Amino acid sequence: MRSVDTNSRKLPVIALAGNPNAGKTSLFNALTGQTQHVGNYPGVTVDKISGRTGLNGRNVELVDLPGTYSLTAYSIEEVVTRDFVLKEKPDVVVDVVDSTNLERNLYLLLQFQELGVPVVGALNMSDEAASQGIHIDVKQLSKLLGIPLVQTVGSRGEGKNELLQAVFDVLDERVDTSERRLNYGPELEEKHEELMVVLRTDLTFSERYSLHWIAIKLIEEDEDAVRKVRTEHAHAEVVLAEATRTVEWVRKHFGQDAEVVVGEQRYAYIRGAIREAVQVDPKRKGQRDPTDMIDAVILNRYLGVPIFFLVMLAIYALTFLLGNPLADLVEAAVGMLGAAAGNVLPEGILRDFVVNGVIAGVGGVLVFFPIVMLLFLGLSFLEDVGYMARAAFVMDKFLHMFGLHGRSFIPLMVSTGCAVPGVMSARTLVNPKDRTLTVLISPLMMCGAKTPVVAMLCAAFFPRHAAIVFWCIWLFGWGLAFVLGFVFRKTLFRGEDSPFVMELPPYRMPTLRGVTSHMWHRSWSYVKKAGTFILAASVIIWVLLTYPRPEHLHAAFDGRVAAVQQDAEKKLASPHLPADVRSRLENKRNDAVSEIRAEQRMKEAEFSIAGRMGRFIEPVMRPAGFDWKINVALFSGVAAKEVIISTMGIVYGVGEADPDQESSGQRASPLKDRLRADPNYSPLTVLALMIFIMVYVPCVATLAVTRKELGSIKWPAFMAGFTLVVAYVLAVAVYQIGQLLT
Amino acid sequence: MTLDQVNDGFPFVIDSLSARGEIRKRLVDMGFVSGAQGTVLRRAPLGGPVELRIGRSRLALRITEAQKIHVAASDA
Repeated sequence: MRSVDTNSRKLPVIALAGNPNAGKTSLFNALTGQTQHVGNYPGVTVDKISGRTGLNGRNVELVDLPGTYSLTAYSIEEVVTRDFVLKEKPDVVVDVVDSTNLERNLYLLLQFQELGVPVVGALNMSDEAASQGIHIDVKQLSKLLGIPLVQTVGSRGEGKNELLQAVFDVLDERVDTSERRLNYGPELEEKHEELMVVLRTDLTFSERYSLHWIAIKLIEEDEDAVRKVRTEHAHAEVVLAEATRTVEWVRKHFGQDAEVVVGEQRYAYIRGAIREAVQVDPKRKGQRDPTDMIDAVILNRYLGVPIFFLVMLAIYALTFLLGNPLADLVEAAVGMLGAAAGNVLPEGILRDFVVNGVIAGVGGVLVFFPIVMLLFLGLSFLEDVGYMARAAFVMDKFLHMFGLHGRSFIPLMVSTGCAVPGVMSARTLVNPKDRTLTVLISPLMMCGAKTPVVAMLCAAFFPRHAAIVFWCIWLFGWGLAFVLGFVFRKTLFRGEDSPFVMELPPYRMPTLRGVTSHMWHRSWSYVKKAGTFILAASVIIWVLLTYPRPEHLHAAFDGRVAAVQQDAEKKLASPHLPADVRSRLENKRNDAVSEIRAEQRMKEAEFSIAGRMGRFIEPVMRPAGFDWKINVALFSGVAAKEVIISTMGIVYGVGEADPDQESSGQRASPLKDRLRADPNYSPLTVLALMIFIMVYVPCVATLAVTRKELGSIKWPAFMAGFTLVVAYVLAVAVYQIGQLLT
Repeated sequence: MTLDQVNDGFPFVIDSLSARGEIRKRLVDMGFVSGAQGTVLRRAPLGGPVELRIGRSRLALRITEAQKIHVAASDA
């Protein structure tokens, strides 16, 4: 093991960068095969996927950088890419270029060169470019840019050996990529040189950064570069004063800000190079781009929105039609495991802990796994095929009215399945403000775990209008999300909208490999994150519901059970009993015993910490119509919402209630009967309760994922806080107003 | 004329940007530089974003962003 470790530390590090949709992931998969592992970039929530690859026995470590269009410091992805290149100093950067869109893709390639890092360009999707009549003179282009270029087809792994060879040539210094060929024009070059002279006065700084790059970034008034100089340069004052003078000069001389001038120079240079090295066949008459033809339908002014909802419906149908039977299988397996453990372990506290604490907790995570996986499968497919950006395009206007972004819709929609993948899919929102806002309102949706709880309550108390009431509650979740989104935008997230400049990539047939690897990375992340937290929470809830144990009551219950059994024994002792009478008696005895045991569990629950806590907060919850039993169930719902039903089963003395059975309309449902018989329950209480359940504190898994995604404990804390307050206010309002009206 | 005033299906040439800060930087990075040619492709319903082609990229902008891009009609 040790030798492997030291080897991997010595491996040269190659960073894989490129525009989004340039086929970076498929090239990465083709290069690294099965060696991938997912990590995290320090401080941010962008997954850092790395793997190993090599040629002729020589290995390198390949790190997949997030897709970016540029190296400014605006989005998380850009900052991650930039910091990785500046701080970790990879030995070579491989920039993946979409050959069908050279102009914009070379823009990023040149910025890596400006950054002063050895760079190799992979002209990816070269097959697609060829079929579009784009002929690239690779040698010529490479010479013009001063960057080694290799043609590749990532989806088929073509050109990967040549690419690696080019990387090794740079590593071995057979090829020099340090010379910048990009020219900013004579006047700007002169100013750039002057700034570099001042920058060179600090030797340590000169060693740390490429001065070429710092100088041009200062001219572009890049905040991050200014900060680097201010905090790290020995003569920061002098440098910044000189930079300000240069910026002023450029503004006067060109009549525009330097940022625009530099951007134009880069594009002008690229256009010049393309003119010399690339030939494009004139378009044949009547030939239309397939993407244009598809978009004419998908983005049609009238069809766009209905198609969007159809696509969502399809993802939903796939998820639940395939997912529910799988979830049932998992549930059955967990149930069997629980039963097996129950048989093996002796009766007592350990068995109770393993069966009701650990296995139930793990089961809670695993049961949702097939659904989460299928949701991710659908989303990965939509993303890879190029539909996600279209969905945002179609929905943006509506969402923007509530201060949200077109891309906010998908996370909300996914949250109606499970808020955990919902929160994770908010990553597609580039701007941190939009992203945080979307994450905060995602848990308000009716998720798969709240569904059985609300359905059970609807069926028990609104038997004639159960479906209608259920859908009203479902819509209430959406409505509240939009209203709170609007409120947060006007208060917490005030200020100018983030720019909506979004690429609509060409439609591409996703590769199976790409979609599944995408799906796996995300699903695994769910299991790891949600799993540990749900398990921990379920153990804690179990402890709270179990301790302290009312030992003084045990004797009385055992006595009652013994009495029932003795009584039955006597009756059954008669040898001439007909079989049907015998079995009736046996059943009666069993029912009586389980009733006593259920009552015992209820007394135990009441005596437990959770029971006492429920009693303790009863005065606070009374205005919403909740008694201590409801409070206890609500506590347990913080572990996972579906647990509310089984906890209710305990505190109402009907034993472990089965969520599936209770939420369906027909079959025998002891919990529903018990609830209906309880004088504390009225339809009004239940309405207040359903609203409270919809809104209050998200489950621990959601909170944990929120912390991971937003990178601070502050956000899940805020999330738990505002949902609790809003839930309480709404539930009290409903109950009190309802009482006035009736 | 600003970009939001260009009719669907019509080509244009970019003249200048009146945006500042992050929006301008993004636009420049995506190829909205003076002299770049493009075509307005379509608009989303109810005054939503506008889709256009700039160079070989297909991009979507909100109307508020399109209003900050000054263009001239083009016959290319």
